[in-house]
Amino acid sequence: MLEAITSGLAALLTPQAILFMFVGVVYGLVIGILPGLGGVVAMALLLPFTYGFEIAATLALLLGAHIATIWGDSVTSILFSVPGSAKGLALCFDGYPMTKQGQAQRALSASATGALMGGLIGAVFLALCIPLIRPIILALGPSEYLMMALWGLTVIATFSQGSLMKGLIASVLGVLVAFIGMDVVTATPRFTFGSEFLMDGISFPVAMIGLFAVSEMMKLAIKGTPIVDRTLVQETSTVWQGVKDAFSHWWLVVRSSFLGLWIGVLPGVGASVAGLAAYAQAAQTSKTPERFGKGAVEGVIAPDATMGANEGGGLMPTLAFGIPGGESMAILLVAFIGLGVVPGPDMLTKNLDLVFSMVWIIVIANVLVTLIGLGITPWLARLPSLQANLMVPIVLSVCFVGAYATRSRIEDVLVAAVFGVLGYVMDKYHYSRANFVIGMVLAIMIERNLHISLTLYGRDFLLDRPIALAMLVFVVVTAALPFIRNWRRERARAAARPQGGAA
Amino acid sequence: MKAMRRKMVFAGALAPAVMGIPGRGQAQASNYYKDKIVNINVAGGPSGGHTRYARLIQPYLQKHIGAREVRITNMPGGGGLKAANYIWRAKPDGLQIFFGNVSTLILAPLAGSPGATFDSTKLTYLGRATSEPRVLAVGGKSAIQSIQDVQKLKRPFVYPSQGTDEDFYTMAVLADAFGFKVKAVTGYEGNADTALAVIKGDGDGHITGWSESLGPIRSGDKHPILMVTSQKSPDFPYIPVVTEIAPAPKRATARAMANILETHRSYIGPPGMDPQAVAAFRAAVTAALKDPALLEETRKGERPVAPMEGARQQKVIEEITRASASLSPILKAAVKEIQ
Repeated sequence: MLEAITSGLAALLTPQAILFMFVGVVYGLVIGILPGLGGVVAMALLLPFTYGFEIAATLALLLGAHIATIWGDSVTSILFSVPGSAKGLALCFDGYPMTKQGQAQRALSASATGALMGGLIGAVFLALCIPLIRPIILALGPSEYLMMALWGLTVIATFSQGSLMKGLIASVLGVLVAFIGMDVVTATPRFTFGSEFLMDGISFPVAMIGLFAVSEMMKLAIKGTPIVDRTLVQETSTVWQGVKDAFSHWWLVVRSSFLGLWIGVLPGVGASVAGLAAYAQAAQTSKTPERFGKGAVEGVIAPDATMGANEGGGLMPTLAFGIPGGESMAILLVAFIGLGVVPGPDMLTKNLDLVFSMVWIIVIANVLVTLIGLGITPWLARLPSLQANLMVPIVLSVCFVGAYATRSRIEDVLVAAVFGVLGYVMDKYHYSRANFVIGMVLAIMIERNLHISLTLYGRDFLLDRPIALAMLVFVVVTAALPFIRNWRRERARAAARPQGGAA
Repeated sequence: MKAMRRKMVFAGALAPAVMGIPGRGQAQASNYYKDKIVNINVAGGPSGGHTRYARLIQPYLQKHIGAREVRITNMPGGGGLKAANYIWRAKPDGLQIFFGNVSTLILAPLAGSPGATFDSTKLTYLGRATSEPRVLAVGGKSAIQSIQDVQKLKRPFVYPSQGTDEDFYTMAVLADAFGFKVKAVTGYEGNADTALAVIKGDGDGHITGWSESLGPIRSGDKHPILMVTSQKSPDFPYIPVVTEIAPAPKRATARAMANILETHRSYIGPPGMDPQAVAAFRAAVTAALKDPALLEETRKGERPVAPMEGARQQKVIEEITRASASLSPILKAAVKEIQ
């Protein structure tokens, strides 16, 4: 094993591998920053250029690019509330408020450091768990995925402060939008009104571009002020502060990283859910959950750590069974086959050095991304203070190009515009856009996995699936925690009052 | 160098039916497509098998067609129907080409799918790239070891499915032919998902392309019990073939299904495509699929090609569609079952 670890690293120390890694990371950062384009697109575009090079170098290029898109996505979410792709969404919730409060540098560096720590924990765990991968994957199934989605739902409460009814209405609206398209259970069109375009459903990244980015730009255009008016709000934070934040919340980082690994191991559970679940976990275990959604740095660190670790987890099904854990891993599988490597159980014995090369790629790419990220943060943090008349046309053009690029369909540009208006109206009347998106992401996942669980195991499926049952208990406990804490606080206050009165 | 390459192309010839015309075809290709951009619309996402093959063949197609560029565009959706509908309405100038599974194009209208707005016999078939055998495999630890075990089951055969794709329809035809009940569990998202369900034992078995199941079969995670093909695989003669072991009264239906599945991954143009473009494209596909460099790549990556020349394919499709009318009620009943 030790030999595989060192030879895995040695394969990455050739000039070609070093160059490819660097190119991949820089390219991934750029792709990640463009809205609508994420890791899958980054890898798919690179794939045709990968034939005929060293195996480790090719993997460095592809995996390096994929890892870099994670932080690239986070940058636009934090600075402009423009999620680069579905997984960057959770970063809008607290990252953007931090930017508006003059804390952009802190948010960016906390996010980069969180992703680095998550990535490292993910890589180490991947290396340690190689012998356990198969039993872990075999122990999990649709019922466990369902519990994961239910956990994501509990975050709705976090964004419903003020009016739970408004929060629920927003979520239901999201669910309804998610149901547009082919029914995943009966394979019949649903809410499509005979339109071929609607048969493929509303694209999630496009809806997000509309709801968050377009509507924010509408607000800016109407107000005529920059996102951050430097005459009113000075940039008060530093890069170092964010780095320190990530380290001082180390326990949150560890928890979030394990969550990311767990989600990565479940094939079919996407990174967008990973971000949301991480956010839910951070908000619910916080002693001050009321700060979430208003610029809490934990809300930035947790999703990035989860997504960083998710990479290591996502590799597991690909390596152990030759079955890709997600779309990006499927592309990696294509690259493997192109390189003459057949993934599957053999990978963990005959090609162990290659597996360790990948572990090293995750480590090195994460370090590179963070170093570059921390280096450019002070410049990036200046962007939100651009004048509205400059910012709005630039961001809007990038958004609409991104909306088109998602599926190469002109109708998606219209969808982004419509969701932009919807997002603006929702924000104005205090219907949480975050809740809308949570409903949209989780609806189909819940529908799929509830249906499969009921069909396979019957109505009492939880009794058949102890892990799912344990997860449900965990979901209930974490959802109840903030309420219990509030109740205790109220009781303590009530108990203190008469005493104070008597004194 | 060019002459040598051409010699090698001839030497590596696979389909005898088209011998003798590639040289002329190549000249036509370079004339018609010269300075043009050809768009290959792949009926699937960037990570799927269709894209994998489209990208693998793309450089060779570009070399033999003489176009300025051969672009790959992904057009996933509706299980390939979106790309097919798009090609059905595309300008017939040969610049918009469909690449994907022909069997979906034949099966969807037979099953009465509301998403199919085309007539599969009127599309222009430009050449088949692969014909991957489809295999019914059960979990490695399953008590089921053969199709006879499935027939003896006292409960329905649990079949994890992604929805109404060609494997779903194939399972319906197999159940009808061998007389067993199927419980289709829909809602799974992709082959990875259904494969894990089978390996874990949540489902009894599933149908996939041979290459997708090869790894798990070799490692013992899956066990193949039936090939849905018209003849036995020379590499795996121990796996029975549906057209040989289906009960006699149902053998014709089984054969129709196997024939449909063997049409597999092909290049297709819009109806009434410009005859010059048709000739040029068909010749280029034939030449590309015989290119020794491509064959070497496919051998290394265990991604075999199985070319069929476009003109022949056009006739085969018409025959298959006519012979498949008997499948329609079986497919419609299976769809009704999950709704």
